Order: sequence, then structure tokens, then C-alpha cells
Amino acid sequence: MDKITVKICAGTSCFVMGASQIQALEFNAPDDIKDHINIEEVRCMNRCKDIHTKYNRGPFVTVNDELIEEANYEKVVAKIREVLQKQCDKQ
Amino acid sequence: MNNLFIEIGTAQQQKHGEDCYGDTVFCKKIPEEQRVISILSDGLGSGVKANILSSMTTRMAMKFVESHMELLRSSEVMMDALPICQVRKISYATFSIVDSELEGKSRIFEMDNPPFIFIRDGKPLIIKSRELSSPRWKERTINVSQVTTQEEDRIILISDGVSQAGLGNKLYPLGWQRQGCLDYILKEIHKNPQISAHDLADMVVKEALSKEVDKQAGDDISCVVLYFRKPRKLLVLTGPPFDEDKDKEFAELISDYDGKTVICGGTTANIVERELCLKCEIDKSSFDEKIPMASTMEGIDLVTEGILTLTDVYRMLKEGIDKDKNNAAVRLTKLLLASDRIDFVVGTKINIAHQDPNLPMELEIRRNIVKKIFRNLQDKYLKEISVRYV
Repeated sequence: MDKITVKICAGTSCFVMGASQIQALEFNAPDDIKDHINIEEVRCMNRCKDIHTKYNRGPFVTVNDELIEEANYEKVVAKIREVLQKQCDKQ
Repeated sequence: MNNLFIEIGTAQQQKHGEDCYGDTVFCKKIPEEQRVISILSDGLGSGVKANILSSMTTRMAMKFVESHMELLRSSEVMMDALPICQVRKISYATFSIVDSELEGKSRIFEMDNPPFIFIRDGKPLIIKSRELSSPRWKERTINVSQVTTQEEDRIILISDGVSQAGLGNKLYPLGWQRQGCLDYILKEIHKNPQISAHDLADMVVKEALSKEVDKQAGDDISCVVLYFRKPRKLLVLTGPPFDEDKDKEFAELISDYDGKTVICGGTTANIVERELCLKCEIDKSSFDEKIPMASTMEGIDLVTEGILTLTDVYRMLKEGIDKDKNNAAVRLTKLLLASDRIDFVVGTKINIAHQDPNLPMELEIRRNIVKKIFRNLQDKYLKEISVRYV
């Protein structure tokens, strides 16, 4: 099974809006997912500058290219589990 | 002008149990005259009283030396002006003054401090001095020396807290002494010939403290190091240029620079990565909960996030560096302090995402935080700074 790539934006606004807490995945991810993920911190993905919405929707995280807006630790873990489940179902 | 730069490093430790330093160090650059004046004074006793005596002495001496006033006359005025100690019935503070011109001449005036240490090519050099004394204060002599400095010379001033460190400790019945301190300095310079003035001063004070009984300073311990050398240059690029058409020109500043380079800002790093076709990767060894991680980019000494890192750098410049951390802000602060000439190039484009009122903390505007940083580097650390806005 391929590892899931999780990209966490570490740009300034994402970082202060909570990306720093999501980085905890790197060191203490839940046991069921920790061997299946590959965490990448990335510099500003420029999503905060797409001004479709009036307010900043950060922090931004992508899980296998699926974007999560206003991400937090729980949301990201749930998304990873969802993707994992889909991969299992396929097999 | 032979383009030498004088790096000044100071370190101090107050006498155990006292709230403030009894020794005072005061350094000043006079750019229009290409002069640097450094003064170390040790006030009689310790604590607040000594602090007042030594502060007054350094301030007065600075004014006199700055205006080239005749030395004996100045020292008479200083001795007359100092308040008289109620216990000892004398007014007293020692001083060591180094008046350095960048063309290479340094004059050193000393009264009652341990003699200065001069190091050239890893060896101590004895500088001849003349003794002067005022007819009114015969028992107090002033030693005047003059030396033409070369690249890689060092002048080191210590207070008697350093030479007498360990007094009362069985291992050092007469204290560490100037010779012990000199041997230690030579050993450290031999180990690391380019050791910065800042680090060397710090190590001398720490070593002196380690000689003391129970590691408690028996007197105020101070060390000032002047290190004459070619300036170490650092370029800091921070923020995207206001005009996008200038991105290429902006990025090329990095490749054309003859010194160390730092990029401070995610978008700035993206621009340089794009324009110079470099690869940039996050460096996980710099992980920290409060500061975004640093990245590595070929040929560039440090790549960090922008505003949060700069804000933390400013805090550390004021309060001292976080000792046990290795995050991006600590790395940047160390680079700044290890450089003599720092060129800031500040892109002034405003990041709209930072203006969102929902952001949970104060995000400084780049121009403002850079201004605070360079003023601090200029005034407190005596760095030569240039700032360009693009």
C-alpha cells in the first residue's frame, strides 16, 4: 500500500492559525496511521492569497492532494483514516 | 583605510547576591571619525554603589575621550566628581579605555585594572606603556600605551573579578590570575583561531566563574574583547518585491553576493527558488512548536519563514539567545551576531493573508520589524547595517 502524503503549510498565517499543532503528527501520530503516512511541511502554498473568500481559510493541509481548509489535528487524522479506508476497500 | 572592522564582545557576571553589576562596560562607534571607543570600569565595592561609580566613570570618560580632552586633566575631573564612599572615605573607580581608529592605531589608557591583554598571531604581545600621574592624585598612575593594529589582532580587557577568580579556593590560593586567564585565552584561540569576540568574552567569564568557590562570583567579573578583522558580510533578503517584474533582479542579489546569505520568508524563498532554479527542502532538525522550520537551499546559508521568525529574532536580540534551542530563529540570530556588516534587502509587498483580523496573534508589518531589528543591531551590537527597500 502506498504511503499517504500529508502536506502541512508552514507559512506564517497557517502556522499561527494552528498548523503548528498539526505538525505533532510528525512525532506522535495515532498508532493506526503512523506507518502509513509521509508528513511534509511545505512553505507557503499561496492558498491564503487566493482571495475567493473574504477571510483566510487556513491552515491548509493536503492529504494526497485533497485540500483541507481550516484544518486541525482531528480533521486531518479523520481525513487520513478516510483515505486509508478507501485504499483498503479497493484492495 | 585598510577596511578593518572591530568586533566587540562583552560578557559580565555580577557578584553573588547582588542585583546589579558593579563593573560597567560602555562602547561607542563614532562613524564620522572612524573611531571605536570601549571602556571598562570597576566601581569600588559591589552592587548599586559600585554600579553608580563605574557608570559615572564610563560616561564621563567617554565624553572626555570622544572630545580628545587631555587625559590627566580628564581623570582629575573624574576623580573629583565621583561621590566619596562613606566607609572608605575615598572616591574611586578603575578604568581601561581603548580608543581605536580604524586606520589601525589604538591607544589604551588604564588605571588600576589588570593590564590589558594583546594577542597577535596566537601569541601575547607586550606593549610598552608610559606612566602618568597627576600632581593631585600621586598614588594613582595611569598607563598609556599605543599600538598599530593589524588584521586578526585582539585586545582583551578584564576586571579584577577575572584575575582574582577562585580566591579562597584551595586549587587557586592566589586566584586564577591574569596569567591563568591569558593561558586559557591562548588555548581557546589555538583551538579556534577565528573565535568571535562575543564567544571569547563569554567563555572567559564562564571559566572565571568555574574557578570560584561553589561557582559563586566573589566579585564582579567582566571581560571585553576587541577583535580586529575583515568584516564578515551577511545579506538578508526578506519579503517579495513590490513590483513583480523585479523578482529576477531581486533573486540575483543572492547569487552575486560575496558573503553569507539568508532568505527570510516563505514567498521570498519561493521567488528565489523559481528565479534561480534552486531546490529548497524543509530541514526537520529545526523543528519547534513556536517557530516554523528552516529550509535548506543550495548555496544559501539559511532559509526561514518571515514575520514570526523575525519577531522572535528581535526578542532574542533584546533578551538574549535561547540557549537550548536550534530552531530557525536561533540560527538566524546567531548568524546576525556572527556578522559585522549586514545588508538587508526588504521587499515591501504587503501579505494580504496577514491582515485578516481573525489571525490569533499580532503579526508585525515586515518593514517595522526589520527596522526594529536593524536599529538594535546597530545600537546594541554596533553592527554596520544597510537597508534597501524594493
